[in-house]
Amino acid sequence: MNATSRLLTRRHFFGRGTLGLGTAALASLLNPRLFAEALAPSALHPSSQGLLPALHFAPKAKRVIFLFMSGGPSHIDLYDYKPKLREHHGQELPDSVRMGQRITGMTSGQSSFPCVAPMFEFRQHGQSGIWMSELLPNIGGIADELTLIRSMHTEAINHDPACTFIQTGAQQPGRPSLGAWLSYGIGSENQNLPAFVVMISQGSGNKTDQPLLSRMWGPGFLPSQHQGVRFRSGQGDPVLYITDPPGITRDNRRQMLDGVHDLNAIAAREIGDPEINTRIAQYEMAYQMQMSVPGLTDLSTEPAQTRAMYGLKDNPTDGGFARNCLLARRMVERGVRFVQLMHRGWDQHGDLPRQIRGQCRDVDQPAAALVHDLKQRGLLDETLVVWGGEFGRTVYSQGQLTKDTHGRDHHGRCFSIWMAGGGIKRGHVHGETDDYCYNIVDNPVHIHDLNATLLHCLGIDHTRLTFKYQGRDFRLTDIHGQPVTDILA
Amino acid sequence: MKRRQTQDIPRTLAALTRLGVLVLSLKFQPSSPAAPPTLDFNREIRPILSDKCFACHGPDDKQRKAQLRFDVRDSALKPAKSGATAIIPGKPEASELVKRITTTDADDRMPPAKFGKTLTPAQAEMLRRWVAEGAEFHEHWSFIPPKRPPIPPDTSAPEPKPLPNGNEIDAFVRARLAQEILQPSPEADRPTLARRVTLDLTGLPPTPEELDSFLADSSPQAYEKFVDRLLTSPRYGERMAVEWLDAARYADTHGYHLDSGRDMTAWRDGVIRAFNEGQPFDQFTLEQLAGDLLPNATRDQKIASGFNRNHMINYEGGAIPEEYQYAYLVDRVNTTSATWLGLSMACAQCHDHKYDPLTRSDFYRLLAFFNNVPENGLDGSRGNAAPTLRLPTPEQETHLAEIQKSITPAETRLSGPLPEIDAAQAQWESATTAQKTADGSVVTPSSTISEAASGESPKPREIPTAPPEILALLSKDPAARTPDDLAKIRRHYRDQVSPDYRKLKDELSALKKQRDDLEAQIPSAMVMAELKQPRDTFIRVRGQYDKLGDKVTAGTPAALPQLPPGEPPNRLGLARWLVSSDHPLTARVIVNRYWQMYFGTGIVRTAEDFGSQGEWPSHPDLLDWLAREFIESHWNVKHIQRLIVTSATYRQSTKVTPQLLQKDPENRLLSRGPRFRLQAEFIRDQALAVSGLLNPQIGGKSVSPYQPAGLWEELSMREDSRNFSAQFFVQSKGPDLYRRSMYTFWKRSSPPPQMSTFDAPDRETCTVRRPRTNTPLQALVLLNDPTYVEASRKLAERLLGHTGSDADRVAWAFRLATARTPTHPELAVLLRVLEQQRTHYRGHRDDAEHLLSNGDATRDLTLDAAELAAWTMVSSTILNLDETVTKG
Repeated sequence: MNATSRLLTRRHFFGRGTLGLGTAALASLLNPRLFAEALAPSALHPSSQGLLPALHFAPKAKRVIFLFMSGGPSHIDLYDYKPKLREHHGQELPDSVRMGQRITGMTSGQSSFPCVAPMFEFRQHGQSGIWMSELLPNIGGIADELTLIRSMHTEAINHDPACTFIQTGAQQPGRPSLGAWLSYGIGSENQNLPAFVVMISQGSGNKTDQPLLSRMWGPGFLPSQHQGVRFRSGQGDPVLYITDPPGITRDNRRQMLDGVHDLNAIAAREIGDPEINTRIAQYEMAYQMQMSVPGLTDLSTEPAQTRAMYGLKDNPTDGGFARNCLLARRMVERGVRFVQLMHRGWDQHGDLPRQIRGQCRDVDQPAAALVHDLKQRGLLDETLVVWGGEFGRTVYSQGQLTKDTHGRDHHGRCFSIWMAGGGIKRGHVHGETDDYCYNIVDNPVHIHDLNATLLHCLGIDHTRLTFKYQGRDFRLTDIHGQPVTDILA
Repeated sequence: MKRRQTQDIPRTLAALTRLGVLVLSLKFQPSSPAAPPTLDFNREIRPILSDKCFACHGPDDKQRKAQLRFDVRDSALKPAKSGATAIIPGKPEASELVKRITTTDADDRMPPAKFGKTLTPAQAEMLRRWVAEGAEFHEHWSFIPPKRPPIPPDTSAPEPKPLPNGNEIDAFVRARLAQEILQPSPEADRPTLARRVTLDLTGLPPTPEELDSFLADSSPQAYEKFVDRLLTSPRYGERMAVEWLDAARYADTHGYHLDSGRDMTAWRDGVIRAFNEGQPFDQFTLEQLAGDLLPNATRDQKIASGFNRNHMINYEGGAIPEEYQYAYLVDRVNTTSATWLGLSMACAQCHDHKYDPLTRSDFYRLLAFFNNVPENGLDGSRGNAAPTLRLPTPEQETHLAEIQKSITPAETRLSGPLPEIDAAQAQWESATTAQKTADGSVVTPSSTISEAASGESPKPREIPTAPPEILALLSKDPAARTPDDLAKIRRHYRDQVSPDYRKLKDELSALKKQRDDLEAQIPSAMVMAELKQPRDTFIRVRGQYDKLGDKVTAGTPAALPQLPPGEPPNRLGLARWLVSSDHPLTARVIVNRYWQMYFGTGIVRTAEDFGSQGEWPSHPDLLDWLAREFIESHWNVKHIQRLIVTSATYRQSTKVTPQLLQKDPENRLLSRGPRFRLQAEFIRDQALAVSGLLNPQIGGKSVSPYQPAGLWEELSMREDSRNFSAQFFVQSKGPDLYRRSMYTFWKRSSPPPQMSTFDAPDRETCTVRRPRTNTPLQALVLLNDPTYVEASRKLAERLLGHTGSDADRVAWAFRLATARTPTHPELAVLLRVLEQQRTHYRGHRDDAEHLLSNGDATRDLTLDAAELAAWTMVSSTILNLDETVTKG
C-alpha cells in the first residue's frame, strides 16, 4: 500500500456504513496483519517485519482458550491416579524418589516428609477409561474429548517465576506472553475484537492465594498493542475506558468525534504525515469498539439452558469463572485468537481437602460446559482448550499430616494438564509418573514443549515465530521445545 | 561553537526544490567516478555475516562448527582440514565461502535451510564482491573509540557558503541528504518551533505568555535565548529524569509476587536535581553507579548509588534466597550494560555471545563488580530492602535528638538506686515478711493501690504471694543476702510490686514509643554499599544460579579497553572506566539516546544494541562528532542538547510530500523536522497544564491520580493483604491528583493504565527505547478517562473566563494546546461542534450536570451548566486532536 492510498478519508470509512467500519474496528490493535500497512512505521516496529506472511503448516486450531489454574492444582488429588500411593500413605518419602531435588523454603526445614494419598475417590470415565478424581465429575464427563498429559514439568518451584514461565517461556520478566506472540504473529481472526483477551476470576479455595502480575499477559519487547486486553467483570467498564462518561450521549459523542475527525483530516492534508490518518482510523475504531463490546459481554441474550449448563449464577454480573467461560465461548465465536482465563486459589499449602473441593466446584462444571458447548456448536474442532496451572504439588505433606488440614507444597517435577479440541487426540493419556507422582517415568513434556505444541496446532513452527530484540531473534520457546506429536490427532 | 547566520540558503533551496532542480546530486560524486565504491566491512558485510553466519561461525566457541569463524580474519583465511579455504582474498571463485553460499546443492548450501537464515541473492553477491575486493576485516565500529571527524564541506550551494542559522550537526546531515539527492526542509514557523522545543526540553507546552514573549522577540538570537531559558527551567530536570527512570527501571513497588511498596523517591529527586544543576554526565555516572564509594561520599551521592537498587526484589514465601540474589546481580549487569554500553550482555549469561565478542567470563567479571552488596536474597516485605540509608529531615533529626535526651537519663535512672522506691521496698519487705500467712499468700500494702489503678471497687483482696524464690530470699537474714540476692529482690519489687517504679517505666516506654513512631516516619532510600569481605564470584554454568563454574574476579569485557591502571577493581573503577575519555561506547550510546529523545529515533536506531546485530548508524560521522563533543565539553549534557535543538535540522518544518515519504518514510535522513506522538507522561501533563490543573511541585512522594477501581485488587487480593503495602489502590486527593505523571505511583504488576496504554514500560527491566503505537485504546483514554474529561471541564472554565466572542475563545483554547491560531476552516469545525453541543446540553440539562460532575476539581457554579458542558466538549475535542498529542 503506498502513501497516497493510506490517506484514508472519512468517506472511505463511513461509505461502508456500520459494516465497513464495524468490521474494521480495532483492527490495528487487533489484527496487525490487516492493518500493518495502515500503521505508520514506528521506530521499533517496521510493519512488515516479523509478522508471519503465511502459516508454516495447515492449522488444526484457529484459536485457543487457556484455562489457567493459578497457584498450582494438585495433580495427585485430581488427575494422576496412583492406587499404590494408598499403601505409602503416612510413610516417609524415600530418598530414592526425592533424589535430593531442591524444594521450597516452605518445607525445606521439615524433619519429616510423609506421603499423603488423596482423600478422594477416583473413577474411570467414558470409553477411554481415564481416571479422574470424584471432585471433577463434569470434566470426567468430557474425558473422551481430551488428552490428559500427566508428565508436564517445569524448573520453577515458586509462583512468580513459574507463572511467568508458563505464560512467557522464561522465569524472569521481560519476555512477551504467549497471547502477545500470537497477536504479533497471526493477529486476530476477526476485526471486531482484540486478538488477545484476558479474564480473571477469584477462586473459593485459598484466600491467601498468589497474586497475578500483568507481565503474564504483557507484550514484553513486542510492540505494546500486542498485550492482552483485560475484560473485567463486576462494576465498571468491561474494557478500560470503553464507556462514555456520564452526560455524553452517543449522538453528542458522534458529533464531537466528527469534529476531531475533520480537524485531523485538515492536519493530514496540511502536514502529510500518514500517522495522522492512522489516528483518524483509530478514533473511528474506538467508537465502533464502544458499540460492539457491550453486546459481547451482555450474557442476558444467552438462553437460560446455556447459562444453567455453565452453572452461571442468576445474577448476570457474576464475576466468576463460569461467566468467563461463557464469555470465552462468545469471544472465540467472534474470532478472538487467544482467550486467557485466570482462576486464582489453587495454592493449597494447608487445608487442602477443603480448599480443593471449593476450587473444583468453581471450575469443574464451567470448564466441561465450555468444551461441550464448543462441540455442539461445531467450534471444538478448531478451538484448542487448555486446562492447567504453573506446577503441581508435592506428594508429601506440608505441615502435619492430618486427614482434614494437610497441605502440599509446590512441585515442578511433574504435574498434569489437559487439552481438548483443535488438533489434539481425544480420550488420550500422555506421559506417566512414578508411584509417588513425584518423578516422570515416561514421555516428559516441558513447558517449552507445551508451547511448541500449541503453536504447532495453530500452524506455526515455534522456531520460526521470532522477533529481533537486542540483536537476537527471540522466540516463545527460547532455544528449546519440541511439539508433542504423540498427542496430535 | 561559532554560529552561522546566513538566512537566505533555505529560501534558495526551497526555490530550487520548486523548480525541481537537483543540482546537489552532482556535488556528491565519489572522487573517482569510474570505480564503484569499495564495500565497507562494518557497514555492509558484518551485518550479513553476523545475522546469517555468526551463530555457528562466530564468537561462541561452544557452538562453532568446523572450527571456522567469520568474526576473525585469521580464522576465515586459514585452510581447513579438508584443504578448502573459506576466504581467499581477491579470489571469490576459489573461496569456499562463495561456493557454499551460491551452490544449488541443498546439502552443501550455507546457511543451512533449517536455520531459516537464507541469504538473499543481493547479500550473496555482496559477500562475493567483498571477497573479490580483498576481504578486508575491521573491528566492529562501536568497539573502536570515536575520533572527531572533519566537518563535511557545505555542498548545498554552488559556492561553499556557511550554513543557515545552524551548526555542525547540519553539515553532517546535509552531506548525507546530498548523497541521497534530498534537500532539507525550511524552518518551521515560530509558534510550532516554540511548542516543539518546549515540549522536548520540559515535557510541557509553552504558556501563552512564554509564547508571546518569544514571538515578540525580534532579535536574531531569539530562538537561542528561548532555548537557554528552557534549559534553566526546573521542568528540564524533570523531563530528563523521565528518560532516566526508564533505564533505571524505577518503580514504587518491588515487582515480584505480592509486589508491595518501596520508596525510592529520594533517588528520583536526586536525579531531577542532578539534571537541573547541570551535573556533568561523567560525575553523574560515578554517583549513579558508585556514589557510596566516592571519597567522603555525601548523603546525596549515597542516595544516587541507588540506581542499581531499583531492580525488582522478591520475598515470595519459599523462594530460595540465592536464586534471587543472583537474579539481582544479573539485572545489574544487564541494566548497566544496556544503559552505558548499549550492549546486550544477557546472552553471555549462559554462553559466549553469538554475535559480539563478549564471553561468558566477561559477563561474570562484570557481575563481580556488583556482588559485594550486603543484601538479602529475599527482602522487602516491609518496604525498602537492605542496605538502606535513613533520611531524616533536619526537623526529624532535632526531634529525635530531643527524645533521646530524655530517654538516656531515664534509662540510667531506672537501673540505679532510687531512694524513695528503695525506701518503699524496705517497707514492703518487712510487711511481706510480717503478713506471711499459713497458706503462703501475703496481703501487701500495694494491693489497694493496684485495685485503685485497675478501676475496680476498692476492697481488700489477697494477692498471690511472691514467688517462692523471693520469699526464700526474704526469709533469709538480711545480712546473709548476697548482692545477687539483693538484685533479685529489687528486680522483683520494682517490676512486679512498685507502682511508682511502674510509672517511671511507663514514662520511658512512652518516650521510646514516641521515638519508634518518629523513626517509622523517617524515609529511607535503598543504596549500594560494599561488604568489607568481598564475595567470591563464580561463573554459573548455563546461567543457573546453583551450578557454580570457575571463579572470576571483577574486570571489564576483554574486547573493550581494560580498567585503567591504578583504578580499583570495584564499582567506582568501573564507573571511571565507563566515562574515560577514550571509551568507545559510553559517549556514543548516551548522545544517541539524546538524539532519540528529540528525533524519535536514534542515529543508531537500536539504542539498546550497539553490537554487531545492532543497526548501522544513519549518520556515523555525526554520531562520532557528537560523542567527541560530549566528552570534550566535559560531558556537558545541556551543551549537547542545546546543539541538537538549535541545529537547523531540528528546526525544520515537518511537512512531508508523498514523494518524500516514499523516499524517506521514517525520516531517518532528516530531510524534515521530527514529528511523533508525545510520550505517555507528557500527554497527561500537557492536559493538566492547559486546563490549569497542574500542580507544579517538584519531587517528593509518589501520588495516585485517577485509575479505574479494582485494577490492583483483582490481581492480588488476599485475606492478609492488609499486612502489605501497595495492595489497595487509594486515590490521592486534592492537589496530588494533578502532579506531573512522573510522580504517579508505579506498581509494576499493574502499571498505571493511562501510561501503559501509551507505551510506557512496566519498569520491570531496563528500557532505553519505548515502542510507539497508535491504537484505539489510546483514543478511549483521551475520550473517557476522568483525567481528560476533568481537564476538558477545567479548560472550559478557563476559556469562559477569557473575554471575547465564541471564535476568540475557541482560538485561545486551540492555541493553548497547539501554540498556534486555528485557520478559518479549523475554527469553523470547532464552532460547529460548539453549536451542536450547546443545542444538546440546553435541551438536556441533566446531561450537562452529569458531564460536569466528572473529576474531583470544584466546579465554577456561576457558569451556566449547559454552556460549560458545551465548552467542555469543545475542549475535549481539542485535547483529542492528533496535533495536540503530537510533537510537530
